[in-house]
Amino acid sequence: MSRVPQALVLLLLLSQAAAAQAIQYQRPVDTAPQADSIGGGYKVPAVQKPLPRDYWLQVLDVVVLGAAMGVSVWLVLKRRSRKWLTALTIGCLGYFGFYREGCICPIGSLQNVVVALADPKYSIPMVVTATFVLPLVVALYYGRAFCGGVCALGAIQELVVLKPVQVPRRLDRALGLVKYVYLGLAILFAVKPALARDFLICKFDPFVGFFRRTGAPHMLFLGGGLLVLGMFVGRPYCRYLCPYGGLLAWCTRLARRGVTITPDKELDCGLCAEACPYGAIEDMRAVRRDCMYCARCYASCPRERGVAS
Amino acid sequence: MSEDLTRRTVLAVLAGGAAFLVRKANGQIVWQVNAARCINSRLGDTGVEACNLCTTECVVALSAVRAVNEYAKCGRCNICPAYFNISSAVNELGQPSEKLCPRDAIARKPIGKVDPEDPANNFYEYIIDEEKCDGCGKCVLKCKEPLGLGSITLRVRYDRCVNCNECAILRACPQNALVQLPIGQAL
Repeated sequence: MSRVPQALVLLLLLSQAAAAQAIQYQRPVDTAPQADSIGGGYKVPAVQKPLPRDYWLQVLDVVVLGAAMGVSVWLVLKRRSRKWLTALTIGCLGYFGFYREGCICPIGSLQNVVVALADPKYSIPMVVTATFVLPLVVALYYGRAFCGGVCALGAIQELVVLKPVQVPRRLDRALGLVKYVYLGLAILFAVKPALARDFLICKFDPFVGFFRRTGAPHMLFLGGGLLVLGMFVGRPYCRYLCPYGGLLAWCTRLARRGVTITPDKELDCGLCAEACPYGAIEDMRAVRRDCMYCARCYASCPRERGVAS
Repeated sequence: MSEDLTRRTVLAVLAGGAAFLVRKANGQIVWQVNAARCINSRLGDTGVEACNLCTTECVVALSAVRAVNEYAKCGRCNICPAYFNISSAVNELGQPSEKLCPRDAIARKPIGKVDPEDPANNFYEYIIDEEKCDGCGKCVLKCKEPLGLGSITLRVRYDRCVNCNECAILRACPQNALVQLPIGQAL
């Protein structure tokens, strides 16, 4: 009997396991051989189980978030350095965006907080709560430092701002209301009972697909579209859509300090108002609600440049 | 001064909310595949295509779901229906000439001394390379009665899973086979 037909027979027998068991197998085929039946000192290996990110690394994410906001405040309010802020922006885009693949972020954690408040059975990890609260606390004292160099979604848009046009003030205001509608919808969908619950902010995150190098085609298309738009209209997602930005904007009403353009330190020449891509300078004064902590106003200021050189 | 008071109020509300949430926190929750529901682990074998939604739907580049061989359940067969494509032509070694895995993620390692005269009674260890496996489910579908013992199941790699609020695979899964578990109870 040659080898090929022999194997064919074996295959045939394999496909009829009961018959195979009766004729050829000396070991039972319906039970798995264990260390003792295999012999030779064989040990059954453990099942692979890659563990989640270590807890201390998750805490580190929160620490990095806090530290980055601190640096952002210091660079913008004290150093007034656009150059270093850009470096921070790139760093945070790398860490929170491409390394952490966009998760977790304060914008999305908003939904988890809402669900956890509404549903007694739902609990969220402490790091998520901290991620949600920290930028709000910073905003209560210093304004939207999180939006500046820290938020990955903001950073990716910040870096594509090419030739920003000033959006007419009334249109800017009207569009700015959309983010509150979005915030309301996100909360509404999050407080629904578990089965009907939906996480809109995550589902319609336009840039997370870039961070993960994969995603639904329509979302990548939308993200690409926003980036192209962002070359001419500064940070369209942050200004008109970001629901967390809405919360931060509200918190800035109480801010103790923020980006300030004051005559005792700056000239009243208006170059900064033209330099601001976000329409956040009204009547030569920075509006904390809209200020994205990009420090372009300082970079464009002749007096600041004079100080630097 | 009144502004300071308001800020203090907001801070108190935030702190209170955070304290409430922290009190409720019970550690980490992870996504996992429930093998009892997974269609690849459940269905009859012949003529059915493996469901590969775990591969296509996951939001990370290489799916966080991969196949796991639970060694204690593995038959360690000579001709493993999950390793070989058992409907391919037989080669000179008496084995099917093609492998089943499209990414060649399964390794076949003989255990102990191999007796060429008695192929049915040699043991082989089948090791799935987690870095290569994308969770397409082909091997899961094949390792089942009557040929296999059902030792291969799809499971989530916790290090790759980004823990989406709503699992994208679950959204597409016809069997609702993905469940959220506290990490302590997870497989």
